[in-house]
Amino acid sequence: MSVVRVMEKTMTCAEFQETLPELFEAHADLNAHEHLRSCENCAALVRDLEYIASQAKLLLPMHDPSPAVWDNIQQAIRRSPNPPASQAGRK
Amino acid sequence: MERFVLMNSGPSQPRPATQHLRRNPPIAGEEEAIEKARNGDARAFETLYAMHKRRVYSLCLRMLGNVAEAEDLTQEAFLQLYRKIGTFRGDSAFSTWLHRLAVNVVLMHLRRKGLPQVSLEETLEPSQDDGPRKDIGARDLTLSGSIDRVTLERAIENLPPGYRLVFVLHDVEGYEHNEIAEMLDCSIGNSKSQLHKARMKLRDLLHTGQRKEQIA
Repeated sequence: MSVVRVMEKTMTCAEFQETLPELFEAHADLNAHEHLRSCENCAALVRDLEYIASQAKLLLPMHDPSPAVWDNIQQAIRRSPNPPASQAGRK
Repeated sequence: MERFVLMNSGPSQPRPATQHLRRNPPIAGEEEAIEKARNGDARAFETLYAMHKRRVYSLCLRMLGNVAEAEDLTQEAFLQLYRKIGTFRGDSAFSTWLHRLAVNVVLMHLRRKGLPQVSLEETLEPSQDDGPRKDIGARDLTLSGSIDRVTLERAIENLPPGYRLVFVLHDVEGYEHNEIAEMLDCSIGNSKSQLHKARMKLRDLLHTGQRKEQIA
């Protein structure tokens, strides 16, 4: 067994969970992590976090704002003294 | 500079030039509309509004959980767009630039409301709040397959503002941590930390909801 595997196996839950953000970011294969083979709590945690992230991706799109929003924007623009092209930051 | 939700602890890394194209592909006619709107073309500005109103409104609604406030801030974000579109230089995707503007409008609003600050400087040390709950039985250890859209939306509404913002930007809107760090003027590490805490908190909220349903 490699040194990495031995280290993973002897990790405490706290140590494993400290590494979780980076493991997720690296898209690591967490199913192969030694700690998860022997820790049902952390395995469930990983499944849940992966599930939450996957479900969140399905949330777009939401509804449109009501037509009143555009009406209000138009009214405000008509009152605006500064058309976009006159902005000082324009290059 | 005063910050409401996020605290800066280091510079963000430069973003690869084409990264934004993966999540924010160019929209047909957008570039032309931007150029015309910069020159004061009202129809072109209306086109930009039609292209982006849904995502800006969604961001505001998810952050505020209130339709009236979300519509007010959508209006404010597009008015700021009207005033500032002349400063858009195309360094990032237009939608990223617009979202950054909308995020600032939301943060300003939250600051005015005096909601509690959530620091990104917290450590990742697992705590009683954030760690896996030891009192969960084997049967309900996992959420997989059990959460519908409405339940998840409601749980997101209950996240603290700082967690909610990073979660919505990363997991819902699909921005990368370096983009979020740039938008929120925080470090990439802080964005990652905040996202992890948000997911942990969501898990806790969702499990609590499940247990309440089982009791009922």
